[in-house]
Amino acid sequence: MEEKVLTKQFDLKNLHKIDVYLEQKGYSAVRKALQMKPKDILEEVKKANLRGRGGAGFPAGIKWGFVPKDVDKPKYLCVNADEGEPGTFKDRYIMSHNPHLLLEGIIITSFCVGIYTAFIYIRGEYEAIALRLEQAIAEAYKEGFLGKNILDSGVDLDVFVHRGAGAYICGEETALLESLEGKRGYPRLKPPFPASIGLFQCPTVINNVETISNIPHIILNGAEWFLKRGLPKDGGTRIFGVSGMVKKPGIYELPMGTNLRDIIFKHAGGMKEGKELKAVIPGGMSAPVLKADEIDISMDFDSLVAAESMLGSAAIIVIDQETSMLDVLKLVTKFYSHESCGQCTPCRIGNSWINKITKRIAAGEGQRGDLDNIERLASNILGKTLCPLGDAAAMPILSLVRKFRQELESHIKIE
Amino acid sequence: MVKIFIDEKPVEADDSATILQAAEKAGIPIPHFCYHAAFPPEGSCRMCLVEIEGLPKLELACSTRIREGMKVFTQSKKVIEARKGVLEFLLAEHPIDCPICDKAGECKLQDYYEEYGLFESQFEESKERREKKVRIGKDLILDRERCILCTRCVRFLREVTKTQELGVFERGIHSEINIYNGVPIDNNYSGNLTEICPVGAITDSDFRFQTRTWFLQKGASICPLCSRGCNIYIEYHRGFPRFPLSKRVYRIKARENPEINSFWICDIGRYGYSYLNESRLLKISLNNSNHRKCITWENILYLLSEKIKKLYYLHRTSRIAIILNTWLSNEELFLINRIFKDDLKIDQIFTVDNPQEKGDRFLLTEDRSPNRRGAQELGFTPEPLKLASLHPETELLLAFDPPFSSPFRSTETKEALEKIETKVLFTAHADEWNDHFDIVLPTALIPEKEGSLTNVDGKIQRFSPVFEPCGEGLPEWKILVELAKQLKLHFYDYKPLSSPEIIFQELKKQNLYSGKAK
Repeated sequence: MEEKVLTKQFDLKNLHKIDVYLEQKGYSAVRKALQMKPKDILEEVKKANLRGRGGAGFPAGIKWGFVPKDVDKPKYLCVNADEGEPGTFKDRYIMSHNPHLLLEGIIITSFCVGIYTAFIYIRGEYEAIALRLEQAIAEAYKEGFLGKNILDSGVDLDVFVHRGAGAYICGEETALLESLEGKRGYPRLKPPFPASIGLFQCPTVINNVETISNIPHIILNGAEWFLKRGLPKDGGTRIFGVSGMVKKPGIYELPMGTNLRDIIFKHAGGMKEGKELKAVIPGGMSAPVLKADEIDISMDFDSLVAAESMLGSAAIIVIDQETSMLDVLKLVTKFYSHESCGQCTPCRIGNSWINKITKRIAAGEGQRGDLDNIERLASNILGKTLCPLGDAAAMPILSLVRKFRQELESHIKIE
Repeated sequence: MVKIFIDEKPVEADDSATILQAAEKAGIPIPHFCYHAAFPPEGSCRMCLVEIEGLPKLELACSTRIREGMKVFTQSKKVIEARKGVLEFLLAEHPIDCPICDKAGECKLQDYYEEYGLFESQFEESKERREKKVRIGKDLILDRERCILCTRCVRFLREVTKTQELGVFERGIHSEINIYNGVPIDNNYSGNLTEICPVGAITDSDFRFQTRTWFLQKGASICPLCSRGCNIYIEYHRGFPRFPLSKRVYRIKARENPEINSFWICDIGRYGYSYLNESRLLKISLNNSNHRKCITWENILYLLSEKIKKLYYLHRTSRIAIILNTWLSNEELFLINRIFKDDLKIDQIFTVDNPQEKGDRFLLTEDRSPNRRGAQELGFTPEPLKLASLHPETELLLAFDPPFSSPFRSTETKEALEKIETKVLFTAHADEWNDHFDIVLPTALIPEKEGSLTNVDGKIQRFSPVFEPCGEGLPEWKILVELAKQLKLHFYDYKPLSSPEIIFQELKKQNLYSGKAK
């Protein structure tokens, strides 16, 4: 059995309370970090090759390094807890079961980058979890881990929880910033990147909940220990969220690079009784679909890119033979058409158009050329939108149409 | 300066320039909808995507800064396909009602389709139905089906007027422009929205369904409706051979001038052009005379000059009075100075002050005439008109009528006028009050003549005629030169002053300006 890191103590009762957490040597990473020099923390995180767990897989240490050192503006940390990618349900467990681990990560990250204010942007639907976070924050203030002069180190930090209003786009980092500023959740044009001009025009670090939660372990155990739990270029474990037609859907914390087939058949108990595997979406709905014969693959960022898919949020959606791929396509196109913020042309109109065609095919009114058209339209979205949502829509659509063309064509009556 | 290559052509531009700015400077067109030089790049229409050597994805020309040696391609296969893709998306949800759209002929979507599109539509679905006639301002109508959501309007109201009346509502394909809580756009710059809208989504009731844009001719001019001197285009219709039109001018548009009005004009300047079309005085008229029919400029100027000469020889020029206004050009004021003040030594020269109105601290000034500053710099002092204080024996009055708030159209002035033997009115407009003058001469308005004006900040701007004066009308400068020539008093040789350009040179020679000539 592989060693768990983030979810190790999840079974412990009342872990979310600070006294239980402290009994488990909680906040020792913060104590250790505050004795370190910020630049040594940054070095350690860089060495650990901790890649962003939100989806893009950008190395966290390098991201922090982009924040300018000498600026007279305040710097901010935004923890992305919007967790909107369909199929993804890992961050909610970290926040509900072990909120203090996240807070430790926030404190260390803030200390490392020179931040005095951090925000947790949590999706609106996670109301109970937001409350739990607020309780944890209150406890941490009381124990002196937050607020002025943390543990007599001279370091200050305030943490705020901000609830989103339910838009998928607000999980995109710059739309998240706009939303946090009280504006409409429209992604910003990049560059400038948030590291230089972010929240309220100030340098800002934005990291996913799981990414930040890894920080205390890196500090306590060192980069080498962390790398051993994953791959040399892709350190640590990963929380895989398995859903769909498996016997035991749920979250599985496993080393980075675990084989996808093993995750489905060993850890998640295999296919449900009488079901046969047809396809797997390996990293949240935005990830291009893998066919049943493509699942002997190492679940890490680079291997999946090589397979023309992506690890994304590591949300594994298992699809069985009885599921119609047209239904999958319909769901995907409906979702992106609904969640497109509408700011840029290809995403706004392209996704709606593809959704309209898909609905028509599903209504039995498909025509010759419809699939070609979907492919063409998706290609006109891919790489041409203002933010990654366009790609996130076009990639799965293209993969579905290309890999399951025969099945989709069978829904189109050609006279 | 940075050197880059656009389509292999070397282009130099400022370090801070974007690809689009560098290309525009070099005369290489890059299509765009949302980008407007007045605002920071928005990057949402995706029309300006270009290929940059070494980069895997297409990049935005509107927001990508140039770098030394950068190689940009605006005509590569990838770029052309991307443009087609964007146009196809926009047109898929566009009503394509060009035949009834006021923007047709000057619509960017239409133009770009002609230039970069020309594909068959593959859109077989039903288009979203949206409101086609939303009143978003007193005179502004929004057609949501035509809207391409470039958000230029939203950004204009956010960044220029700072009134923020418009926003984007709803999301995705349902996104729409709307006003907040039904509160309409109410600012003096709302007309600019019709101009910056790249398609026919925002139209104004003034121009709606009036004519087709391709019938219009356009000429550069200066807005005379306040002392800012905003640069404008006047768009007018030449008319049809056998179908007379009721009006000539159809529209005023802003003409970019970064030193004065940037890209904008106010609604007073934009919509206040009816004085160019309506109640124009077409003929010379002699009241109380039996010779109405055979009057020409020649004999009327002869008549006038004889009258002036008689008074001059009798040393009675003190019985002549001249009333000016702040609408006259610098050249005209210069001529008046020379003829009446210097040569004829007339004392009674008054400049009527325009009543001050409210300015708006942006472009519109309190003074609603174009050349108050010019008149002051040429030695005239605008003051309220007091006809009653004229010399009691005044025999001849030459009055120049301003197009608005004319001081000669009141019962008081009528009474004062009755005491004067010969009253001459120079005016562009026909009016019943004109009957109280003995001679009424049709003059030209600013777009009908040449000259220069000095704006509130002392900037001198020259203007050229956009079209001919109405009827028998003549520009005042021309009338003055001809009159001076007729006088034959041999003070000063007026013959060489055959154009406002020459008079302007004369003005400059004498250093009569404090401002910079432009």
